[in-house]
Amino acid sequence: MIVEALAFYLFAAVAVACGVMVITSKNPVHSVLFLILAFFNAAGLFVIQGAEFLAMILVIVYVGAVAVLFLFVVMMLDVNFAELREGFAKYLPIGAAIGIVLLAELVLIGAGWVFGPDVAGVAASPTPALSEATNTEAIGRILYTKYVYLFQGAGMVLLVAMVGAIVLTLRQRSGVKRQNIAAQVARDAKAEVTVVKVPTGSGV
Amino acid sequence: MTELPNFQPATPEIFLAAASMVLMMVGVFVKPKQAYRTVNTLAILSLLAAAVLVIMVGGSTEAGPQLAMFDLFIMDDFAVFVKILILIGSVAALIMSQGYVQREGMARFEFPILIVFATLGMLMMASANDLMALYIGVELQSLSLYVVASFQRDSLRSTESGLKYFVLGALSSGLLLYGASLVYGFSGATQFDLIVQSIASSEETPLGLIVGIVFIIAALAFKVSAAPFHMWTPDVYEGAPTPVTAFFSVAPKVAAMALLLRVMLDPFGELIIEWRQVIVLVSILSMLLGAFAAIAQTNIKRLMAYSSIGHIGYALMGLAAGGEIGLKGVLVYLAIYVVMNIGVFACILTMKVQDRMVEGIEDLAGLNSHAPITALVLLVLMFSMAGIPPTIGFFGKYYVFAAALDAELYALAIIGAVTSVVSAFYYLRIIKVMYFDEPKEAFDKRQPAGLRGVMVTSGFLSVALAPFLSVIVTPAGIAAASILAP
Amino acid sequence: MVNPELWFEGVWWSGYALPTATIVMYILAIVIPVLISVAYLTYAERKVIGWMQLRKGPNVVGPFGLLQPFADGLKLFLKETIIPSGANAALFVCAPMLTFILSLIAWAVIPFDEGWVLADINVGILYLFAISSLGVYGIIIAGWASNSKYAFLGALRSAAQMVSYEVSMGFVIVSVLIIVGSLNLSAVVEAQRGLWFVVPMFPMFVIFFVSILAETNRAPFDLPEAEAELVSGYNVEYSAMTFALFFLGEYANMILMSAMATTLFLGGWLPPVDIAPFNLIPGVIWFGLKTALILFGFLWVRATFPRYRYDQLMRLGWKVFLPFSLFWVVATAGVLVAFDWLPD
Repeated sequence: MIVEALAFYLFAAVAVACGVMVITSKNPVHSVLFLILAFFNAAGLFVIQGAEFLAMILVIVYVGAVAVLFLFVVMMLDVNFAELREGFAKYLPIGAAIGIVLLAELVLIGAGWVFGPDVAGVAASPTPALSEATNTEAIGRILYTKYVYLFQGAGMVLLVAMVGAIVLTLRQRSGVKRQNIAAQVARDAKAEVTVVKVPTGSGV
Repeated sequence: MTELPNFQPATPEIFLAAASMVLMMVGVFVKPKQAYRTVNTLAILSLLAAAVLVIMVGGSTEAGPQLAMFDLFIMDDFAVFVKILILIGSVAALIMSQGYVQREGMARFEFPILIVFATLGMLMMASANDLMALYIGVELQSLSLYVVASFQRDSLRSTESGLKYFVLGALSSGLLLYGASLVYGFSGATQFDLIVQSIASSEETPLGLIVGIVFIIAALAFKVSAAPFHMWTPDVYEGAPTPVTAFFSVAPKVAAMALLLRVMLDPFGELIIEWRQVIVLVSILSMLLGAFAAIAQTNIKRLMAYSSIGHIGYALMGLAAGGEIGLKGVLVYLAIYVVMNIGVFACILTMKVQDRMVEGIEDLAGLNSHAPITALVLLVLMFSMAGIPPTIGFFGKYYVFAAALDAELYALAIIGAVTSVVSAFYYLRIIKVMYFDEPKEAFDKRQPAGLRGVMVTSGFLSVALAPFLSVIVTPAGIAAASILAP
Repeated sequence: MVNPELWFEGVWWSGYALPTATIVMYILAIVIPVLISVAYLTYAERKVIGWMQLRKGPNVVGPFGLLQPFADGLKLFLKETIIPSGANAALFVCAPMLTFILSLIAWAVIPFDEGWVLADINVGILYLFAISSLGVYGIIIAGWASNSKYAFLGALRSAAQMVSYEVSMGFVIVSVLIIVGSLNLSAVVEAQRGLWFVVPMFPMFVIFFVSILAETNRAPFDLPEAEAELVSGYNVEYSAMTFALFFLGEYANMILMSAMATTLFLGGWLPPVDIAPFNLIPGVIWFGLKTALILFGFLWVRATFPRYRYDQLMRLGWKVFLPFSLFWVVATAGVLVAFDWLPD
């Protein structure tokens, strides 16, 4: 128990600290790296909750793929960060206000769960006990049956995102040499090579 | 093995999803030059086929609503009515867009496909029976719309409008999710009928639930562009390519409005006392903004943006009234709004001087002298927009005002009447410009047949439908009854 | 024999100290052999390629040159670590450590023999996949922190390459695990008792093998360090121990990926046929032999094939492997359902 609690406080504290560093660190690349560390700690928290599948998916998808592209973009950016920082103080009050509102609502929800223990019992799809199914199985069972409509719908959303990204950015440039493998493979020595009899001393 | 869900009521959506993928394949494998035309034609056909399927599936809803996909999806008379409106809007938008798209270098086959995707999202919205299904539908629709808004990717205005729409749309999605999570947290359900049960069983409504509802209203008000969540509307309407604006002003509005109606009256119907004031406020603000901000506009697309904000305000009046009469009023209003708006945008699409689109109101000067038919159609439509009898626009307003009076929302009705008079000013100003100002450069004579057809049909219906309004009112009544049936 | 548990009896931390000590022992028992294997993998590489090219390879330090890797290690250890003045010092030093640590922690879930696994977690495959997908950070951070254009170009290439090939690797893994019906690596091996997956899933094995070549930035996909264009790519600014850590990490990753391929396709610790002379040999030996076989494949490929061009590399990943592996996943699932062979 103590180890678990210690691990929880470690992950939680590091995650919160990373969250703060993401918005305060001067260098945006450092921000992204702190974001990654925050993801990692969130994954750790998932593991403590017994949701190892979610933890791994968080690492694979967010850390392994999404954040890499983030990092990519941020490394390429050429922005004057001192200039960006100037607005920070100006927008701080409104940002803080929104943050406080969201925090208050989170607290409200938390209070709702604490004060109304019966509310927690009416979850739409309660998690089965670990002895019945591992959480990978539990997610699979519900995702592909009860929520197949949402699963497919989400698939359509991703498809649209892909179509959109391609349609807005792909440009067919003219005058670019492209490799045509089929044509290369289909070349025939008979058609391409000519054997010329060269008389000695006269050149081709 | 687990049993398969009931697919049958969702046949139109499944068909449309499959069709969109087939269309993509067609687009890739047809010769590039013909790709756009082929895909556009096929897209129109598949939307029409989907409409037929909606009617076929909907024909069997007499026995009450049909649930599908483990109760995440609902098909009732309300859904049928709304879906038909959405499909009409999308088909009209695709037909109208043909000429413009080819002229302005947007003729890539993805355009009709994205419209089909957006339509699919809207159909899913109209049939949502669950907060999650609602969200997926909204996202599918919005994402497609962000892309089509910036479809003219070499135009600064178009990309800017797409970006603005995207950023603000993402914010509203965030609000929606936040509200939905609050509702789920306090009711323990995402499915609408279970939320109803949860609300009915608790003696006191939790505060968090009401906060959640307000968030959901704010997000959906953003999607229907009601004040004070309208900020994106004028810029996006002005910047997006005109056929896209035409599409924006019709189908997504209907879908989002339908969603608002269903969410407010189905799961949260019991709580009307709690949310009515919010809707009344939104409605009043929208009507005022629509009336007064439009006066100063010189760009006709911007004008139409404010006009649509105002119209949404009137439609919300019916929702504030609640009950079957109010709901019926909103549905009739929406149907009439679709007919009028398609016509107006068809007229705007003909505004072309030497192959260059113009959008200023003063460009319409003296339209009567060189394009009498367009001028006449626009005249009729403007009368209808202003709500002057005997056009159908008058009857639309009549039904929502009647509902508001019936629900004893007198202040709302009075403000509505006043703003309606104010807004008549700018509609009539357009007529004055067309008929009495010095003629300017003539518009190009040659117009695509499809565009002309849409324009004339819409103008004709705006008058001719008035005596036969029961065509709209009767199904609207059935639809309204279906959603309120216990 | 003294029962070690008695030493701590009555002490409040007795419940923690012993498990901690045991785990540290286990970890050392895995890490030290891995590091020795890394040392001899570098030796083997030079020997094998030498023989393939009709040379002798290292043969001076120690008998048959067997002490060569240690001599190299010592040299790197004694050199000065140079941090370029324009570099981001903290990240510059972190990157090789990250690479090295990642290549070691993945070993926690690899089953060397029946029950010989440090952490027999339910999502073993996902854990491996997650760790291997993190490998890109070491390289990208190194490239950026070096503040050198060659290093940065190498890092960009490598990031794009690893992300691309991860996709098809993911599908290969999916196709394996739908046959097994579990994400646990021991279960994956057990499912191959009778028939190794390399037989029915041969195309997937080939895709997996090529993908791990790309994932470890090995020839013919070693564009990130293409010495002809990028001098040495992301590690051009590194020297001494920082370089040594990259080097160790890269080779440990190769061994790890080979172990993963062994577990997924070659039946892990299982003998090829379950009869007398074979099943008497301990499973861990079989595991080592199979891993060595795959590693030999790495070296063989390096000695044989020329480097890919970057667009060819991308095309192979996205236009060949991705569609094919996607098709194979669907086909596998279809066959399993059609013949009712699904695991429960």
